[in-house]
Amino acid sequence: MERFILNVVHRPEMVPEYAEKVTSHGKEEDISRESLLTESLDIFKTQQAIAHKNGFRTTIQMTYASLFNDEAVALAKQHHEQFGDEIALTLLGLTCEKFQKKYKTKDFCIWMFSMKDKKAIVTDVFEKFFMCFGFYPESTGSYYLDAELINYIKEKYPSVKCAVATCWEEGPKAYRTCNNSWYTLFDGGPWNPWIPSKQNTHAPASNAEEDSGIVAIPHLSRDLMACFDGNGSNFGTHPQNVLRGMIYRDGQYPYLYNLIDQYRSLAVYNEGYAYNMMFVGPGWMNKMGRWEAPYSLLLKSYEDGMAYYAELKQEGNLTDMTMSEFSDFYRATHTYKQPECALWRDILYGSDKQYFWYADPYMRCCLDMNQGGAIIDLRPYVAKLNWPVGIGTPHVQNASYPFLIQSNYRAGYFTHYAGEGTVKSCKLTYKGEEADLCLCRSWAHFSQKGDCRVIVLDPVEIVLSGVSLKLVSSFTFRQGSSEIEISRKIIECSDPAAEIELNEYITACYGTTEYPEDMTGITLTLEKGDLRRSIQYAYGCREDSAEGYRALASILAIQTRVIVQSHSPSTAYYKEGYAFSPMFTLGLKQKIVCGEEMKSWLRLEKEN
Amino acid sequence: MAQAGKGKLNYRCPACFMRDLDIDMFYDNDKQEYYCLRCCYTGSEADVCAKNEMARFRYKNILTRFKEFGHQNNKTEPHK
Repeated sequence: MERFILNVVHRPEMVPEYAEKVTSHGKEEDISRESLLTESLDIFKTQQAIAHKNGFRTTIQMTYASLFNDEAVALAKQHHEQFGDEIALTLLGLTCEKFQKKYKTKDFCIWMFSMKDKKAIVTDVFEKFFMCFGFYPESTGSYYLDAELINYIKEKYPSVKCAVATCWEEGPKAYRTCNNSWYTLFDGGPWNPWIPSKQNTHAPASNAEEDSGIVAIPHLSRDLMACFDGNGSNFGTHPQNVLRGMIYRDGQYPYLYNLIDQYRSLAVYNEGYAYNMMFVGPGWMNKMGRWEAPYSLLLKSYEDGMAYYAELKQEGNLTDMTMSEFSDFYRATHTYKQPECALWRDILYGSDKQYFWYADPYMRCCLDMNQGGAIIDLRPYVAKLNWPVGIGTPHVQNASYPFLIQSNYRAGYFTHYAGEGTVKSCKLTYKGEEADLCLCRSWAHFSQKGDCRVIVLDPVEIVLSGVSLKLVSSFTFRQGSSEIEISRKIIECSDPAAEIELNEYITACYGTTEYPEDMTGITLTLEKGDLRRSIQYAYGCREDSAEGYRALASILAIQTRVIVQSHSPSTAYYKEGYAFSPMFTLGLKQKIVCGEEMKSWLRLEKEN
Repeated sequence: MAQAGKGKLNYRCPACFMRDLDIDMFYDNDKQEYYCLRCCYTGSEADVCAKNEMARFRYKNILTRFKEFGHQNNKTEPHK
């Protein structure tokens, strides 16, 4: 039976993000302004009323400031009693006069504080919560929670079992959209709930030993195509996000419902389970209006969004849960190695683009069917990178999980003038002509066979030196294997004897942003049993190849080893990049004729 | 010449929006126009609204309500 779960989360944020800057322009900064506090609480009351009117229980995430407000505390207690809402605690909304005076800072993002301050703040906030309610919360969250912080919270407050732990693909794109002033840099996480590992929040735990003890949920459910290229804050299950993106006309925003419905459709790929969360901070329903939209439209969009969820619930197509209930549900229905899959289509721009997203404890990966199934994003979760963030660490703001491939940040198939970009694809050559599958647009079909998730693309037609052929690509993700099996099969050919060379390649680098990193810590190797031929990356444009070998790259900076191998006779090679093309390429070449298939594996391992 | 202020609805610069930048504009009361601090766009409220409409050109399905999402494996036709 399919189950579509909804978490509705509200927070009484006494000094909402945006509000001070937006509504108080021309006045001296004063975050204790009475009108600001009153309006904030009014918005929270409005959001709660809309949810309750539609028959939903919410998770009320109390903010630090709201714990000092008797009315907010009383409201939470009343709504818990009357409606069954969960009273939880968020580490968002730290900003208030008391906090700033006590911690002598204007910082407000919990993951950016020093570990010493994180511990002090967590203790402060959780103990204040206990004083107000007489128990410790079961749910918490922020835009991002780093692993060290989650581990500390879980150790000190074991009642916590669910947390909002990341915003999907909120990184350099969001930073840039905000004129390089919004420092939420945490690309690379899962888009749907997961169990974070103790080592790195983004990387799911692969077993009980790695289990951080919480179920993480993303901040909003975001468009898995639009957010990969554009600003994430325009394309989520946050009605005002849709307004921010100007994705409405005459007060109508069918895109919001399409987004919800596409998330519902993901049940097909995930054993009948689908998920959504809605979490709108009060600042987005400001009485002054926001993003060209008057308050009336901000309010209407929230009411309409909630009403649509209510309609689904009445039809028996949606189950609302509080965050802690969801955590229990998730634990009862998921195993550690169970992947999250999403075959996602464009629902906004009018193209036929289609992505397949896959995440498990070993990797996150995206196939682009508009580029013949090329891998355009690849994150090696298998490394479970220890990546502390905050003041006093090497990454004060940057919490993104590094990529091996990110075709928008580091080109992809198309580059300007020279060099290569990150992508995994296949080139076909015959009698001096070459075609890359990146230029063969196709469409995918999903199936599950035992513990394998399989993506098969519709055949693509290729013409090389007068020979016309049809080729089918398929990708098999075997649960727990940390590898992708890739098959290329020629199913038709105008010349059955024509030997077509297939070059299955991955061009990669590493990083978290658009800018290149130091590649000198990378080793490129050809390996066959005990035989090894290696070079240390030095931007030397070198290459090597050998028959019957496998090719691998060791990237010490992100403790990752990338391996390509084939079980049939093929020639493995590596290519070092150069300064204008700071990449490496690993590949396998094999000649096949009509009816034959080339099978290869892309494997990720942790490099110690 | 008095200092500029925020307009009544937090209009963003439409030229910057089209390159994925959210930049709130300020209003020059003397010239009765919005202007961007980053690029050279200036315009009246009517012009801003018209350009915002233009910015929607990329959303070809802005008013389309989809009923299926390609998850039925027997369907091979992409949506049109």
